[in-house]
Amino acid sequence: MRDSLSDLSHVAALTVLLAVCLSACGRAPIEPIVNYDLEYPPEYGGTMIDATRGEPSGLITMIAGESAASAVAQNIFSSLLRYDKNLEFEGELAESWAISPDQKVITFKLKPNLKWSDGKPLTSADVLFTWRLITDENTRTPYASDYKLVIKAEAPDERTFRVSYAEPYAPAVNSWAGLDILPKHLLEGKDINNTPFARNPVGSHYYKLEKWRPGEQISLVSNPLSTQGVPRIERLVSRFIPDEASQFLELMANNIDTMTLSPVQYARIFPARPELQKKFSLYKELGNSYTYLGFNLKRKPFNDARVRKAINYAIDKQELIDGVLLGMGEPVASPYKPGTRWSNPHLQPYRYDPAKAQALLEEAGFRKNKDGIMERNGKPLSFEILTNQNKQREMSAVLIQRRLKEIGIDVRIRVLEWASFIGRFIKTGDFDVVLLGWQLAIDPDQYAIWHSSQQAPGQFNFIGYKNQRVDRLLERGRMELDPDKRMRIYHEFAEILLEDSPIVYLFAGYGLQAIHKRIKGIDNPAPPAGIGHNTQDWYIPRPLRRMEISQ
Amino acid sequence: MLKYLLKRLFWMVPLLIGISLVSFLIIHLAPGDITMTEAGFDPKASEESRQKLRELYNLDKPVIVQYGLWLQRMAKLDFGTSFASHQRPVFWQTKDKNGNVTPGMIQEALPITLLINVLSLGLIILVALPLGVISALTQNRLPDRAITLFVFVGFAVPGFWLALLLMYWTGVVHDWLPISGLHSQDAEHMHWLAYTWDALKHLVLPVFISALSGLAGISLFVRNGMLDVLHQDYITTARAKGLPEHTVVYGHALRNALLPLITILGLSIPGLIGGSVIAESIFAIPGMGKLFYDAVLMRDFPVIMGILTIGSALTLLGNLMADLAYAWADPRVRRGVMQ
Repeated sequence: MRDSLSDLSHVAALTVLLAVCLSACGRAPIEPIVNYDLEYPPEYGGTMIDATRGEPSGLITMIAGESAASAVAQNIFSSLLRYDKNLEFEGELAESWAISPDQKVITFKLKPNLKWSDGKPLTSADVLFTWRLITDENTRTPYASDYKLVIKAEAPDERTFRVSYAEPYAPAVNSWAGLDILPKHLLEGKDINNTPFARNPVGSHYYKLEKWRPGEQISLVSNPLSTQGVPRIERLVSRFIPDEASQFLELMANNIDTMTLSPVQYARIFPARPELQKKFSLYKELGNSYTYLGFNLKRKPFNDARVRKAINYAIDKQELIDGVLLGMGEPVASPYKPGTRWSNPHLQPYRYDPAKAQALLEEAGFRKNKDGIMERNGKPLSFEILTNQNKQREMSAVLIQRRLKEIGIDVRIRVLEWASFIGRFIKTGDFDVVLLGWQLAIDPDQYAIWHSSQQAPGQFNFIGYKNQRVDRLLERGRMELDPDKRMRIYHEFAEILLEDSPIVYLFAGYGLQAIHKRIKGIDNPAPPAGIGHNTQDWYIPRPLRRMEISQ
Repeated sequence: MLKYLLKRLFWMVPLLIGISLVSFLIIHLAPGDITMTEAGFDPKASEESRQKLRELYNLDKPVIVQYGLWLQRMAKLDFGTSFASHQRPVFWQTKDKNGNVTPGMIQEALPITLLINVLSLGLIILVALPLGVISALTQNRLPDRAITLFVFVGFAVPGFWLALLLMYWTGVVHDWLPISGLHSQDAEHMHWLAYTWDALKHLVLPVFISALSGLAGISLFVRNGMLDVLHQDYITTARAKGLPEHTVVYGHALRNALLPLITILGLSIPGLIGGSVIAESIFAIPGMGKLFYDAVLMRDFPVIMGILTIGSALTLLGNLMADLAYAWADPRVRRGVMQ
């Protein structure tokens, strides 16, 4: 026994010795001493490297729906309109746009002398071609429905594009801000579903594709013929690194300039590491989605508003924000991004009030049974929260389970893979309560989610919400193109929704971004459109560039 | 022997069809399809559009009809095109009439995974064989204990954790090795020698990590095999005849101890192309493991079926090769095969 112990101690001592020796032999990376905090005048050039978790399947966004594709494609293709930093419309390819008095016709006037990055002119014929492409029956796109409402599209001259609708349709303007215009001269007569163009695109925006190394990275280089002017950073590289921890290591090693951080990295790791703070600036902006608890309103007892409100009062939203997001989020009270015109500033989320929750349940006829569970007509208040494999949602469900237990509600949690979750439960309406997220919409139209007509399998009002007043507001909202009148409609809509509590708004998380201090010109704090709204003005001063890039 | 070989090859065809049918049915039993994962939860995508997509992908047809269509294509060795990725060919590149080449998905991912796994297999054999032999020869003494400790650590340490630790240590703390990816940023501008050196540096950690658990397993396997053989009567006889120790160990014992290794190596052929999701994700390597994982999540049926079919064919071939190699190495087995 003693022998074997001494053998083991020999092995351990050897291992430690080896580790120390290897550490001592290592050399620390030599970093030039530069002061990243100095002010530098704007200049052109340099390379910015970021990391994305997935590789785009192609760069034609009407077909490749994933976020990785639009993140790259938005630098290559232009739309007729875009959002400014306050999320109001402004022209991108369009110099101006006009809506007819009957609100059924929108006429876009293109900017003069627009060009594709291959030098060919960009005209209204390209816009018409793109519209035909997305509405073509053989185009494999799920995003055609908004464009199919156009009953007539025409390009009377090179700079004019006109669309007519049977009825006024307010989300139409937004739809034209989301359609990447494609070049007719390269795609006419080709099969859009299966074209090498998707991996070798020609656009009209700030950048053009330089090289796509499959599975590794995409690099874009500034497009001298850009319709918007020349961006200050010459080259953008997106590396595909699926693992978040590996991305963070690459960031620490100075190999990427920016990444989206997790709350732990933002709130715990960065503050504890001065060497990171020296090199990186942290930014936070409200993200584009909110997390909610949605009730199946067709099932008892969720058809009773008092029960829904009781649950709303019984959940401590701040606890979720602190516990799940480490404080990196905000409570919301409407499906609109706070700070934009659509968000009703008078609405407040339900405060945490277990006593009120208890009282509401008692008012609805529930009493505690001998196990401490609320019960009505011999039936205990017990249900299952369904959610998908998403750590934040799973943790939220656990915290909610505990809070609801305190007022006598028995909750079980079930976590599922996304496609099975949608196919087996959401589509069939076979659930009690779901924990999910929706976008904080830029266009306020929420018809598909809240109108009572949208409850068939595969449609989005799967919780079964039905309110005549809301129906009418949603119908009016999509017919109204005047932004101020529209705003009043959606403020009222959000107020009724909050009062009715068909869902419990839990939180909207912040987008957390670390960006290397070599990159200057970033707006902080972020406007409603986010820090990325003016990437064309970001710049990298020559002394701060990487060696291999400033050669 | 030739008759045996032909018979085995002939039986592979119905076996492969059976495997593909079962795989096809199981994949389609899982709820959801590509239209649901792509835009299943986007209010901008209407149900009619998704239905239209289903028709375009043939997903509205009964599963057995879809299988028939798939089998028809497979008869011509056409693995079809991916649903998810702009209809890229699943297996091999295609060329359109303008001469544009679209590379196949497996064609791109396979060489990378194969390279890493062949290198790690080489490393395993190079290191595990001597370790196993030393361990057996020094049974219960210091080297044996040290190696056994290493084997246990190799089994117990989670690969992803060790990978991150090594990435941090060799990539962030010391600037020794690249952290992830296959090439450096400026690889295109490098001389070919520098390019190769750069690629090799990128491969060090992934190869080491994917070799680690195999290293532990095979060295233990060799140790136990050697111990078994060393206690056989013919080894005692050889020693009694006064043969030098190295002839006894390497000429008689090792050869016999290694016989079962042939089976293991034959069976590892499908593993060579399967890739590892975890290692490939951590090191950002676009290999087969990640391709398969992504395809399953996206319900990209043609890619899943392509990988499964190639995987099954290689497993069957691997088995056959292991049997043949075993017969070649062991006369007793060879006699059985001939009969």
